[in-house]
Amino acid sequence: MDIAPHTPDVGPVDVLPLVRLAGVTKRFGQVLANDDISLSIMPGRIKALLGENGAGKSTLMAMLAGRFEPDAGHIEVAGKPVAFASSRQAIAAGIGMVYQHFMLVEDMSVAENVLLGQAGGFFLDPAQMRATVGELAARFGLGIDPAARVGDLSMGERQRVEILKLLHRKSRVLIFDEPTAVLTPGETAALFDALRSMSAQGKAIVFISHKLEEVLSVADEIAVLRRGRIEGEFLAADVTSPADLARRMVGRDVLLDVHRDPVPPGPLVLAVRDLSLQGANLSGPALLDHVSFDLRQGEVLAVVGVAGNGQQQLVETVCGLSRPESGQVELLGHGWDEFHKYHDWDGALAWVPEDRAGLATCRSLDLTDNMLLTTREGFSRGMWLDRARARTAAREIVREHNVQPGRIGLQAWQLSGGNLQKFVLGRELRRRPRLLVAEQPTQGLDISATEAVWQRLLEARKSMGVLLVTGDLAEALQLADRILVLYRGRVMGLFPASDSGQVERIGALMAGLS
Amino acid sequence: MSPELILALLAATVQAGTPILYATLGEIISERAGVLNLGVEGIMALSSFAGFLGCHLTGSAWLGLAAGGLAGALLAGLHGVVCQVFLGNQVVSGLALTIFGVGLCNFLGTPYIGQATDGFHQFAVPLLADLPILGRIFFRQDALVYLSFLMPALVWFLLWRTSFGLGLRAAGEMPAAASAAGLNPQRLRFLGVLLGGLLCGLGGAYLSLAHTNLWTTGLSGGRGWVAVALVIFAFWRPGRAVAGAYLFGGVMAFQLRLQASGTNVPSSLLLMLPYVLTVLVLVLSAARAQSARRRGILGRKSAAPAALGVNIESVG
Repeated sequence: MDIAPHTPDVGPVDVLPLVRLAGVTKRFGQVLANDDISLSIMPGRIKALLGENGAGKSTLMAMLAGRFEPDAGHIEVAGKPVAFASSRQAIAAGIGMVYQHFMLVEDMSVAENVLLGQAGGFFLDPAQMRATVGELAARFGLGIDPAARVGDLSMGERQRVEILKLLHRKSRVLIFDEPTAVLTPGETAALFDALRSMSAQGKAIVFISHKLEEVLSVADEIAVLRRGRIEGEFLAADVTSPADLARRMVGRDVLLDVHRDPVPPGPLVLAVRDLSLQGANLSGPALLDHVSFDLRQGEVLAVVGVAGNGQQQLVETVCGLSRPESGQVELLGHGWDEFHKYHDWDGALAWVPEDRAGLATCRSLDLTDNMLLTTREGFSRGMWLDRARARTAAREIVREHNVQPGRIGLQAWQLSGGNLQKFVLGRELRRRPRLLVAEQPTQGLDISATEAVWQRLLEARKSMGVLLVTGDLAEALQLADRILVLYRGRVMGLFPASDSGQVERIGALMAGLS
Repeated sequence: MSPELILALLAATVQAGTPILYATLGEIISERAGVLNLGVEGIMALSSFAGFLGCHLTGSAWLGLAAGGLAGALLAGLHGVVCQVFLGNQVVSGLALTIFGVGLCNFLGTPYIGQATDGFHQFAVPLLADLPILGRIFFRQDALVYLSFLMPALVWFLLWRTSFGLGLRAAGEMPAAASAAGLNPQRLRFLGVLLGGLLCGLGGAYLSLAHTNLWTTGLSGGRGWVAVALVIFAFWRPGRAVAGAYLFGGVMAFQLRLQASGTNVPSSLLLMLPYVLTVLVLVLSAARAQSARRRGILGRKSAAPAALGVNIESVG
């Protein structure tokens, strides 16, 4: 998708910010989700918050929307400090959010949805309701039929209904959380036009995204968020190098140094040749585009890139969730079909998914049962489970990987993210896999848990090949023997992590500049 | 059959359909708000007694009607408390309500069995009653029947032409959206349940105040269940409830006439007719919804409110 670059109008300097965040900090347990964040949101400007998943964007916006209160620092609206106790108060203060999941009544018309809870008197006049909503839509360039049933609308049109709801409520600050995730390229262009039209009429727009090119094409100002901190703020007009922005987004500051033993390369465990995937959207770009690489025992191959550039599809194909459309995937010397039909449960493939509390574990099962989710081998006698042995094994994992608190009777949801991740990793390593796929293994983890996971992965590569998918460049540089950069499903580069010249260019490669 | 007999049968159809119409409209309001109330049968049973007792004690049919409506709203309120406050299962609570209502009616009503009531009487509406055919069928009835002619339009207006109705339907379709719009879906649902119970109560009171003039228990006789089924038949729309209610009224009146005429068909089989029809209607409604879905007309699962039967767990 090509969108003509937007030249921001430079607004008057003496205008007061509509919303100002001063030193806002939010902590969840050990994890610092937002660290001393200061931002000004100006009327008539589009501010982009650029950051990876888990960078703290959602936490920041949830505080603005009144869903929770900051631990330190404060929020000012029109110069006055406010403390929102509920989302209703944030709405009353003129701050409106367009969430990724729409809050719409599908069986009602556009007009009814917009005016729900807003209609003045007791009696409704449908013709007048449609006229009101139609006028509002026309004023902000949001083409929509007020009489249409929301259930019949496309995602882009539904989003316009959400925007109309905020506009009708006279929201002055409109926050969009990854608004283009559900849109087609055409709808995205229409949304950007609407954003510009709203900002031209004095609304302050906050655009949350991890898509670099979209941010550059629509935003006036860009704030880069990484690991809960503002890494930098720029005028979009001043950004000369998207590569620099990408680098700031994923960062490469070394948090901690881990010890690496050299490991001699072993046999091939994964071979991917010309893997392509079109996906459901036949007219859109390919999700994976002729991806080829090898992975040997004894090495960590890091797949880096901005989220949504094909990493998920690659992992799902390797792990057997989706069949390769074209090209070959060979695991441990077997073809994809053969491997995923017949392979032994243990000693083969293990997967540590990104969604550790959803895909990797069942939240209300205890640790023993969660271990048994992926390992029944050795714990079954005929059709019966040998629970005593399973408990012993779970206890071993807990001890060996220092999972706190070390009680196997706890349910998965009672563990912190870091401890749950250590448990999941321990469970998978216990199966002695020869190929390990680890997806964002340290996302949202504190430093000590991150270090523990890193050490385990480095250790593990002595007996297996590790495919590490990460959005954190520092992590890739710490762990990887080789680095593969994905952009829009294409391999932009594949080089040893020791090749400092190539490493310098990772930011540019991730932004699609070769 | 002589024309006179047919006219009498049609007039009886309207009478038999009226309590079902009230109850169906009441259940439509409740379900539009997202609360499935399977206690209609119990509500009708108890309010038939409350209607009788109110009239018996005060001598006023209108006060009896008020007592019936109030009893219906109260009993439905109990369902509302169980489901909206304590987040109880709507199906279980509704079934319990039916057992409770029918039992309480039998317990309280048995001493009065055989008492005559001076309830609503039929009167001819001037001018309209003289219309050929229609006058005989529709306009020589009692006040509650005339009131029931207005009811579907009133319910429609309330649900589709007032901001209260808009909020109520939103609470039944997507409570989170209603909540995000600054409404209180729990309260709206509770009001919907109360209002629905009130209408079911009017239907129950009709049975003891107009349908018969002699108190006995068991007057509801499964009409509440028919009403629950008719809501599905009506696709949750008040206008269609009229057709359904009179269809059932017709079958009920017909089987009574058939019994009275001394036919050879066993009366048990005749008594089954309305319920056989209930099953048929449900099957047909489901089949029609399915074919409409296949042709992409409705464009959704069914016409049922999306959050019907789903309790609101937290205020968002």
